[in-house]
Amino acid sequence: MSRSRAVISIYDQPMWKSIDARKWQLQQCKSCGAFRYPPGPICDKCLSMDYTWKDLSGRGKVLSWVVFHRKYLPDYEPPYNAVAVQLAEGPIVISNLVGKEPEGGWIGRDVEICYEPDAEGHPIPRVKLAA
Amino acid sequence: MNLSKVAAVIGVGQTDYVGDYARVRNGEKPHNSDGYAVQAFNNALADAGISRDDIDGLIVGPTVAYERIGELLGINPTWGGQRDAMLAVIEACMAIHCGLAKTVACIYGNDQRSAAVQYGGPQAMGGDLFLSYVYHSPWGYTSQGALYAMMFRRFMETTGITERELGEVAVAQRLHGSLTPHAIMRQPITIEDYMASRYICEPLHLFDYCLINDGGVAFIISEADLAKKISKKPPVLIHGVGRYDLNRGATSLEPRLLDFYRPAQEKCAAQVYDMAGIGPEDMSAVQVYDSFSCHVPFALEGYGYCRSGDVGRFMREEGISLNGRLPVNTAGGHLSETYMQGWAHQVEAVRQVRGECDAHQVKDCRFVHYNSDVAGKAVSVIYGK
Repeated sequence: MSRSRAVISIYDQPMWKSIDARKWQLQQCKSCGAFRYPPGPICDKCLSMDYTWKDLSGRGKVLSWVVFHRKYLPDYEPPYNAVAVQLAEGPIVISNLVGKEPEGGWIGRDVEICYEPDAEGHPIPRVKLAA
Repeated sequence: MNLSKVAAVIGVGQTDYVGDYARVRNGEKPHNSDGYAVQAFNNALADAGISRDDIDGLIVGPTVAYERIGELLGINPTWGGQRDAMLAVIEACMAIHCGLAKTVACIYGNDQRSAAVQYGGPQAMGGDLFLSYVYHSPWGYTSQGALYAMMFRRFMETTGITERELGEVAVAQRLHGSLTPHAIMRQPITIEDYMASRYICEPLHLFDYCLINDGGVAFIISEADLAKKISKKPPVLIHGVGRYDLNRGATSLEPRLLDFYRPAQEKCAAQVYDMAGIGPEDMSAVQVYDSFSCHVPFALEGYGYCRSGDVGRFMREEGISLNGRLPVNTAGGHLSETYMQGWAHQVEAVRQVRGECDAHQVKDCRFVHYNSDVAGKAVSVIYGK
């Protein structure tokens, strides 16, 4: 697990392992069924500490987006985008839109998760417009 | 709990923002954070007309160490600690109300420019306290500006506010900076200058971002009756305080993107307005924590200064400059005056109520509302005569 910059607590480790297998999983609360992100020890809805790791459906909607014009990180050359996506399972994640750009507005567009190699060759989940 | 008129500000002080900005750009290092803090304290003490031995409470900002500042200033208080700008004001009022201290010095210093503090990238400042500042960096998503850019983009979609309308903030605050001798940025800009400025994280432009500079700020808060006896100048009363924090969903940006922090601002507004017994229509000016310009439209809607969804038109037609209906950040704010993480806003609020601001003075200033919503933690203070 040598991803530079990623914040990897002990609760994040299984998630990044699932991403390495190109099958992004998040924790689902065993008590109330809520998904959570980032991974953590407890459900913020019902305070249950019991959970299982579940595959994501891979579907989501764009909530918002930005374009970086300043360079902050060695392996992200501007301009590049970042999108906030609300997953079908509920949580909001940050990713990057790859492939064809939407015509007209980005917000509200259906997207699906895909995997691309990051600068170190590990898969990282990004999103593309849903077919 | 009612902290209305329990305490008053009797002294304010700051460092030489303009001179130190030039010295730091010239490669000099005038002070470290401690040095700026103690210099500001001496100025606040002189402004209040009291002596060091009148101080029995000490609250320092998050960028300096509590014990070291107390050591440097020779202050052994009955109450002390470390807080950010707005919570320093509230904690001083609480300590005074409880009888734990009578006269509290609140002191801040920051050498962020000369120390090259980074607010984005691999060592983003604040990541130890706010996971959202660093968690998304595997996707290249870093910097606090990017968090606000994401929030503002969705706000544009939801309300119809345009980049050009957001530009009213930078233009108004630069006008105020041009009228404020101690402001770092004093060259007026137009909406066209704003629109032509480069993007940093689109849709935010360079002029939407705060300055990064060295400096220090201090203010002295005293029990209200004692304040009248010991203060050289008329004390400025704290009429109300408010707070409401949104923590749930913070790292995945839910309170930003789904609610624009509105629930926190509305609850904080209800508390501070009820405590002060006045409302937004009574304010002569507003000081908004503006690390990024878009804090201003979020706050104006959240605290009831305009109708929900109407802030773009409000800023463009009614105006937020000294020439408009509601002067906001009257010394230039973080964008044009100085980036003292909310501390200098308290000083400006006090000086406006005192009527000391000369060219950037709001006429007949009675009440000034300070508010901040840093990372969804909404805090308010109302100052008045």
